[in-house]
Amino acid sequence: MHIPDGFLSTPVWASLDAAAIPAVGYFVRRTQAGFDEARAPMLGVMGAFVFAAQMINFPVGVGTSGHLVGGALLALTLGPYAATVVMTAILVVQAFVFQDGGVTALGANVLNMAVAGVWLGYLPVKIAGSRSRVAVFLGGWLSVMAGALLATLELSLSRVAPNGPLFALMLGIHAVTGLAEGAITVAALGAISRLSPKFVFHGEAG
Amino acid sequence: MRRTLWAVGGAALVLVLAGVLVASASPDGLERVAQSLGFASRESPVLTGSPLAGYESRFFQSRWAAQASAGLAGAVILYGFGLLFGRTLKRRK
Repeated sequence: MHIPDGFLSTPVWASLDAAAIPAVGYFVRRTQAGFDEARAPMLGVMGAFVFAAQMINFPVGVGTSGHLVGGALLALTLGPYAATVVMTAILVVQAFVFQDGGVTALGANVLNMAVAGVWLGYLPVKIAGSRSRVAVFLGGWLSVMAGALLATLELSLSRVAPNGPLFALMLGIHAVTGLAEGAITVAALGAISRLSPKFVFHGEAG
Repeated sequence: MRRTLWAVGGAALVLVLAGVLVASASPDGLERVAQSLGFASRESPVLTGSPLAGYESRFFQSRWAAQASAGLAGAVILYGFGLLFGRTLKRRK
């Protein structure tokens, strides 16, 4: 769901870029203030893993594909603040090095996937605990839906298409992709939890 | 702990080296919607000419080598970012 350059109208992408910069600054400072040092070695490998997973598209039917976004998975291994920073780094590298996702649309993509995707992905576990597989699954699904909903609102404000079909198609397709996101998040977090339970983020400070 | 780091890093390597062979080339959700509703043609990249554009390295003829090397480069960049960011956290304490 990386929005390319040209889809968003100038007022929309410009205001989202203007909003994303201080938002990311805030998340960087919060991470630096409260990050659990024992988790630091995970920053690099989780960033590399989520980047790699995002490259692998799987079919979701009717000639459409999806891929892991990884917001919930990052939140549940690094904590939501560091997860937002790492996801932002992934999106910046994708936009500038791989030309995936627009440069002007970077603020929108950061707010959709690194902020909303990470924090909505974290919310069910914050409420129910990471031992609940249902909460982890729901986190994966919600992270995709939150990103898709924001992207749809931004496209709607940019008047790219009539709202009815735009919302129906965007949310319909991502509701299916979100199921795969939930399942992959449960499987990956389960594997990490079996190897090193302490790497699963349970909602402690930071 | 070390085992987990190797496992996650190893999984990332498997994804970029082998996953690219089985990845679907179909449009993703947003691309699909843009095609169906006729706004795909609005796409106008601001940045062009990256040697790794579209997750395919220009330096290799074979599609697999082009994708795997691009993926490897991206994974290494993000690993490096995590390492550097981790160091800034330690220095502050």
